Formats: sequence, structure tokens, C-alpha cells
Amino acid sequence: MTTVNLHLQQVKEQTAESMEEMWVNMGPQHPSTHGVLRLLIKLDGEVVRECIPYMGYMHRCHEKIGENRAYVQIIPYTDRLDYLASMYNNWAYCLACERLMGIPIPERAEYLRVLIGELQRIASHLIWLGTFGLDLGNFTLFMWCFREREMILDLFEAVSGQRLNYSFMRIGGLALDVPEGWLGDVKAFLQWFKPRLPEYDRLSTDNIIWQKRIQGVGILTPEDAVSYACSGPVLRGSGIRWDLRKNDPYGIYDRFEFDIPVGTSGDVWDRFWVRRQEMDQSVRIVEQALTEIPPGPVLAPVAKKLRAPVGDIYSRVESPRGELGDYIVADGSEKPYRYKVRAPTFVNLSALPVMLPGYLVADAVAVLGSVDIVLCEVDR
Amino acid sequence: MTAEEILQQIRARFGSEIRTSEVRRGEATLTIKADQNFEICRFIKEELGLEYLNCLSGVDWVGENEMEVAYAISSLRQPGKIILRARVPRDEPVLRSVVPLWGTANWHEREAFDLLGIRFENHPDLRRILLPEDWIGHPLRKDYQDERFVPYPWDDRKPGTVVRPTTA
Repeated sequence: MTTVNLHLQQVKEQTAESMEEMWVNMGPQHPSTHGVLRLLIKLDGEVVRECIPYMGYMHRCHEKIGENRAYVQIIPYTDRLDYLASMYNNWAYCLACERLMGIPIPERAEYLRVLIGELQRIASHLIWLGTFGLDLGNFTLFMWCFREREMILDLFEAVSGQRLNYSFMRIGGLALDVPEGWLGDVKAFLQWFKPRLPEYDRLSTDNIIWQKRIQGVGILTPEDAVSYACSGPVLRGSGIRWDLRKNDPYGIYDRFEFDIPVGTSGDVWDRFWVRRQEMDQSVRIVEQALTEIPPGPVLAPVAKKLRAPVGDIYSRVESPRGELGDYIVADGSEKPYRYKVRAPTFVNLSALPVMLPGYLVADAVAVLGSVDIVLCEVDR
Repeated sequence: MTAEEILQQIRARFGSEIRTSEVRRGEATLTIKADQNFEICRFIKEELGLEYLNCLSGVDWVGENEMEVAYAISSLRQPGKIILRARVPRDEPVLRSVVPLWGTANWHEREAFDLLGIRFENHPDLRRILLPEDWIGHPLRKDYQDERFVPYPWDDRKPGTVVRPTTA
């Protein structure tokens, strides 16, 4: 049965039950879905009763491609998963391979990875804050956030030559060392960026319209958050203090001092506030990394043709959107036998049907925005 | 709970169901017979207290004529981690769904059904999730062929062998 017929049948069944309720399509081209996602929403007047997400519009069988490429060749494809945090996708994949093959990383590369990863987290949260403001009609915030994000993109362009799909990390370290004077540029950026955060607060946090719009909406209980395996700011917004950087440290995150912000009630406001505070913490980590970064090589001596020993690994990192996991099954050849990406937004989105019912259709935009989905990662 | 303790407890309870078990990189990994997968998952969740299902992925072991479902399970309260693999025959890949234990398994199992054709009993809504509903075949199976595949550069397989599956 085709999608259209199925939909018509559902509509028929539902209209027979009650004249009050109706099924409405939100998407696949709705601006607030930030990509192509179709939400089939059952409405009772203005109130959402049920929500069925349909995705896969951008499915490109990332995992099948991975099975047919050598380990090194997969890195550029990981950029295209979460294109707002490509550095983190590179890192997650390279870390999984390094753990699987037992490759140690030079000290300088570890520091640069943390530094770049946290800058990427700031950039990703900035684009989230900006587009979330756009969803709620706060256009100025969008312009301001993109202004600072642009500066981080310039920094990344200086190291990798690319603005979005960096492919900068390698199995065993980084592709290149950073150019001369780049660390000074990062310092200058932080000098500019730190006073901007209170400015965003004036437009969002302290704004009574913003507060009334998102407080008490889209509540996700801690029990549901764990059952649906939510991660990242969605999990922490529900009051669970869980961050892989602290609880299961990878790289050298155990050397840095930072806090894990958590929410209290699990509503949209808490998820917003967790992300907003995480930017402060990322600034702290970048500052510490800048003072401690040692000289040295950035790439461990690794073979050109990499072979992984027989076995499997589930390796996870804390990407800006949550737990980004790679499950790799190796059969001893130069390409993975099975390569699965546990995309954080795919899993977080599966909790959306639990969050939406009972709230107004206008709030659906805010709730969906607060999950921070990237459809390329959901669809893979 | 350390990986050894986890393995010990599962062995004590489900000794006859376990095919292989070992500790690798501090993680408990074990392969089980598929017919007890739900009971073992419930034991892990409720009695060992590993309440967080990180990931569920299917693997096609075409050489051994078997399908595998790998559960990566951990906890938000303790450091224990486990990778549990359940094997089913390839021509009849049916397992019990773990959706009653973890809500997140719903979409993961739909994905395994969609891409690998593994069926899950008692799943509330088992239908394709990423591919169109009228798609034929399951692309992540190792014997799935499509003329649009770009062959691996130094692969032995001859490119251009097109075998379009005709049944779902």
C-alpha cells in the first residue's frame, strides 16, 4: 500500500470515529522541520492528540556505503551525517577505529581534537539557538547567532580548507597541524564571543515572551527519557546528569574542569537552558586547552592500508546532539563487515510522539525545535 | 558492576543459552541462542540494573547462514556495559521484540526490519522506517545487489553483476 493510500485510509478511519479529530500533515516541507521530515499529527481542535513521524527522505544508505569502502575512505561520508557538527562525526568514527585497532594518538592531536570539538559544539549550539529563535519568531537572535557561528567557520576553514564538511580528522590523529597564529585567532574569538553570550540572554533568556512561550511545554519525564534512550541536552533537560565527557571520558576530557548543566522539569525551556549553559562550559574547556596545548606531531604513524582485527566495538562520544555511537564489526579485512551509526537525533526524535500529545499545535514547532534534529543524520 | 560479574550472573542464570562469552576492552560480550533473547534482556535490565539500551543493530552473517541482532546495553547509574548478540537462522530471521522493555527499541527494530529483513514478534508497529513502503528487498543484506552500487576499487567481485531481488 502506498503512503498516500495508507494516509487516506487512516483519515477515513479517524473521521468515522469522531468528527472533532482530524489528521494533519506537518511537513515534509515545513520550515520548522529544518529539512524534510513529515509529521502526521492528529488534532482535536487545536490540541495535538497523536503524532507519527515519517522520515527517510534523505536516506542514502550510509551504512551500506561504509561496508563497501576501506576504513579511511569512510571519513568524508561521516561529514555528511550531522553536517552542523562534522568535526564530531569525524571524531566519533576515528575514535571507534582507533579503539578497534589499538592506535594511540599523539598528545597534541588529543588537545586539538578537544579544542576543535568544543568550538564545533559552540557553533552547533549557536545554529540551534538561532534557528530555534527563528521558529519562535525571534529573528534578531538568528542574525546574531549566525554572526558568531560564521567566525568559528572561518577558524575551521583556516585549518581544513572547508566550511562545513571538514574531513579533518584521521585515524591516528589529525590531517594537518593548525596554521601558525591560529591559536591566537581562537583566543581573539573567545574575547569577542564571551560578552556576546549575555547579549543573547537579553534577547532570549530574559525575554518574557520567550519564557512564556516555552516554559511548561513538551515535558519529557526522566523515565521516558531513559526508556527512549534520549541523550545529550534532551536527557539532561529532563534532570539526568549524564554526559559522556564526564561519565565515560574519551580522549583527554578527564583532564578538564567543567560542569554539566541539567534541567529540572524536562520542558522545552530546560532543553534550551541546558544548551545555552553548555556554551559557557565549552568556552571554559577551550580556554583550558589553549593554555595546556603541547607541541609535537598531530598524526600517529599508521599504515596506509588499515586492517582491523576480527571483532566488534560499540564506541560512543558526546556530540552536540547527544550520544553518537559507532558499532563496527570487523572481519579482518580492510573494510568493515558491518558499520552502524547510532545517530543521537534519530533516537531523540523517537521520543517526540511521547512529548507532543496534549499540547497546542503551535507548541509542536517549539517542541520539535527543542529536540534539535538534523535530518541527514536521522535518515543516514 | 564489573564485566566479569555481569557475565557470571548471566551464566549462572542462563548457562545453557549462551554460545560464547568473553570480556573485551572491559566490556562483557556474549552470544546467545535467539529464543531466549527477551528473557535475557529483561534479566539484564531489571536484575542487573543496566537500564539504557544504547544501540540495536542487525548483522548479516551470510557465510554462516545466520542473522544477528546486537544489543549494546549500559546504565546511567553504574559503569557496566554489555554487548549481547542473538543469532537466528537466515531463512527464518524472527526474534522477540524488546519494545516492552525499552521504548527506543521500537525504531531500532523497525530499522533492522527495513534494512536487513529481521522480523520482531510482538512489535507494536513493524513497518519500514527509512525506505519507501513499496521498496523490494533489504539493502543491508550481503547478497543484495543493485546496479547503482559503486564497487569497492580493489574488490574481487566483478562489477556490473545485477541481480534485482523480486520478492520482498
